[in-house]
Amino acid sequence: MHKRAFGAVAVTGVAALLMSGCGGSSTPAAGKTSSTTATATTPAASPTTTGAPVRDANAELVIWADNDRAPILQKYADQFGQENKVKVVVQVATDVRQQFKDATKVGKGPDVIVGAHDWLGELVQNATVAPINLSADVSSKFAPSAIAATKFNGQTYGVPYAVENIGLVRNTALAPEAPKTMEDLVSKGQALVKAGKATNILIQEVGKTGNAYYTYPYLKAFDGGIFATKANGDYDATKVIVNSAGSLKGAAELQKLGALKALSTNVSGDNADALFDAGKAPFYITGPWAIDKAKKAGIKYAISPLPSIGGGQMQPFLGVQMFYVSAKAKNAALAEEFVTNYVPRKDVQEALFAAGNRPPALTEAYNEVSASNPDVKAWFEAGKGGQAMPNIPAMNSVWGPLGQAAADVIAGKAQPKARFDAAQKEIVANIAKG
Amino acid sequence: MSRMAANVMKWGAIAVALVVVFWVDTQLASQGHLLAVVLVSMVGLAVLAIYGTRRAVPLKYLFPGLVLLVGLQIWPQVYTAMTAFTNYGDGHSISKQEAIDSIVANSVTEVPGSPRYKLSVAVKSGSDPATGDAFYLLTDPQGKTFVGDAKGLTDLTAGVEKAPTGKITAAEGYTILSAVQVNDRKDLDTFAVPSQDGSAIKRVGLSEAFEGKATMTYDKATDTLTDSATGKKYVAKDARFVPADGQGDALPQGWKENVGFKNFKTAFTDPVIRAGFVKILIWNVAFAAVSVVSTFALGMLLALLLNDPRLRGKAVYRSLLILPYAIPGFVTALVWRSMFNQDYGLINQLTHLNVDWLGDPWAARAAILLANLWLGFPYMFIVCTGALQSIPDDVKEAARIDGANPLRMLRSITMPLLLVAVGPLLIASFAFNFNNFTLIFLLTEGGPFEAANTSIGSTDLLITYAFRLAFSGVSPNYGFAAAVSVLIFIIVALISAQGFRRTKALEEIN
Repeated sequence: MHKRAFGAVAVTGVAALLMSGCGGSSTPAAGKTSSTTATATTPAASPTTTGAPVRDANAELVIWADNDRAPILQKYADQFGQENKVKVVVQVATDVRQQFKDATKVGKGPDVIVGAHDWLGELVQNATVAPINLSADVSSKFAPSAIAATKFNGQTYGVPYAVENIGLVRNTALAPEAPKTMEDLVSKGQALVKAGKATNILIQEVGKTGNAYYTYPYLKAFDGGIFATKANGDYDATKVIVNSAGSLKGAAELQKLGALKALSTNVSGDNADALFDAGKAPFYITGPWAIDKAKKAGIKYAISPLPSIGGGQMQPFLGVQMFYVSAKAKNAALAEEFVTNYVPRKDVQEALFAAGNRPPALTEAYNEVSASNPDVKAWFEAGKGGQAMPNIPAMNSVWGPLGQAAADVIAGKAQPKARFDAAQKEIVANIAKG
Repeated sequence: MSRMAANVMKWGAIAVALVVVFWVDTQLASQGHLLAVVLVSMVGLAVLAIYGTRRAVPLKYLFPGLVLLVGLQIWPQVYTAMTAFTNYGDGHSISKQEAIDSIVANSVTEVPGSPRYKLSVAVKSGSDPATGDAFYLLTDPQGKTFVGDAKGLTDLTAGVEKAPTGKITAAEGYTILSAVQVNDRKDLDTFAVPSQDGSAIKRVGLSEAFEGKATMTYDKATDTLTDSATGKKYVAKDARFVPADGQGDALPQGWKENVGFKNFKTAFTDPVIRAGFVKILIWNVAFAAVSVVSTFALGMLLALLLNDPRLRGKAVYRSLLILPYAIPGFVTALVWRSMFNQDYGLINQLTHLNVDWLGDPWAARAAILLANLWLGFPYMFIVCTGALQSIPDDVKEAARIDGANPLRMLRSITMPLLLVAVGPLLIASFAFNFNNFTLIFLLTEGGPFEAANTSIGSTDLLITYAFRLAFSGVSPNYGFAAAVSVLIFIIVALISAQGFRRTKALEEIN
């Protein structure tokens, strides 16, 4: 009996932990539960509520969002409710992606969800989200890259509200100037380590299983990447370029940085924040989600674009946060009205900005926020020219193999060419199976 | 009198049970689970038959347990086994009809160059807002107003009043519906005003309409979908629509269907999976066995030491030893993970080793066994302490009088009696560790992984492997994961059956 009870506690615990985004690990990369693909758009989800919310039967419009955004949304939901004389409820879901899929399958899902754009392919595959016909007027008010991210097979499925990407955060007490190149960054870091002022040259999440999201900019610097793009700009699942000449050059850089201990598989989501916030690391490649903690730790920081490496400019993936309407929405008219007429409002976008410090997707809101907030401008600059993370289901086949390949190369366990060839083979085989 | 009271209580309890059954039935019926309604009703009838009559006395005791056994143990297993014969998973989670509907609905795009209308939904004055024929009152960008119904668009001018946005707020002969009324009319979700060339004016939200056209059309006779924009034909194959000419991507929405023994065949024949499966199985058995033996050995040793009558402050020691057990397992696992970090972890820092605990296959296995020893020994300690105290003193005294030394006493008296008591618990512990998902998942996630195959890790158990198949990594495949779960069930059942047979042999010592 004891063992049983322990098992139950343990399982609940895991569930709680998994749903809270693996204890606050902070990769905004796509994914469900394993940390190679952990999503951390929900870094502060409460571990006390493990189950999916139960749809409020008395409400005319039900919205599911994570713990951070739900309280802010409620205010605008109430306003919308008053205008249309309906009851609108915003419920907190700890794992919106999975809980939405599961609940919708049995007809108990919400009408609207708030989530990342890279869930899109998977949600369409399971027929859980409906297209949104946004007028050309409205969509032109958004950053073009954000609108592009809400499309799948040419159809629009949501309205964006924020764009996020990684950049180079530096501790200005150790590194007053932003390095333009990775070589410069490494030499500055090495000097600081030698002088005993720092313990690490650079902090970047790698972990034992690697992290494809943070690996991508190194490949992209040499025109490598994950998928080639079709003529219309969509990612082409049949053309994997993980072992292209460009990607391999990036992999060689990873190997070099691993040998210099600038990158290490011993730095992961578990300890990356703590290492930087201890003030012993000059540089940290991360996103807006790490800033609040650094501020709390009293670190003086500055944000700049990723450096160039080996002559190529590193470019991050863009992640777009958006509102989806359920394909099985019980209140489709209200849901569409809310998403097409309320979300594109400047005040809503600005309020949501406060929830995550990500630059708003609505150009008007971005301009206003960035004028008074240098961080937002810096994140935006760091993401300039970046491509949206693939939202095709084939991306699910990439996270594991590519992340592990990068980890093995960084750890010096394998040679870039052989290891990335193997990863390419595995990814292609997995996509064929899917 | 007391007999009367007992009767009242009995029938009261039966009535309560029947009310609960009835309530569950209504809930199920409202959601259309008819088979479940029948099954739950049968449980209700059984309650009445068993407890309402004086027959079937043994069943009176067994029935609650039986219901729970069927509901909580057997049904999930049957359901898992059923899922194992389907392709259920991401991209194959809906019926074929739903997939077709979704493909067609999602292909609706705005006709290029068509106007965007401001919309009010109305019914003819005097008809019921909930059921009367719907009309779309539209304003185009130039401010021209129209009324649209299921037949088409006509001009509207009589008594039109407009809001600053252009939305019509009043028109002669029409009653404009409120937001709630529009939302409540589910027929509007499919309502459209036909326009030229098969396109139609559809609603977006409450106050906008656009002219859209579905580019996909389904032909039932040939079971094909045709994309009028590209002229491509799609045919059904392997539970999804693929291009008839073999060029290009399949359509994303696939459907769920039965695949027979395909999942089991894959588990046994796919070379990668087969090799991995055997590797995982060997480690899984070794992990469970070593965990049981090591935790039992340490737990028993400590129990023997702390059971010595001469020792003082036993209560304190015992409470301290139970502490690791009192901390939730997942917290402990995460703490151990950070302690095993090669550069920053406590273990390497204290021992001045440079072991890559979580990155090297054998070191990772050792790390897991160590952490599980820490997690598991308090349980064994508690169990052994209890069992030791139940061993009668006179047997030990007799042995001492016969001149047995402590070691001999342990071997011939204590151990056999202890094993009889804890034998079944060891088997339970083995079965638990065999499926010790928490520890593996939080400590190593099944890794480290070999090159070229990131689906099978060096410390993976079958259960973590099945989890990865079902919920993460390559497109989640519940069907295949269910098949693996069925195989795990068979393996654990065989091992446990064998184990229980062995403990029967132990009992004969008594």
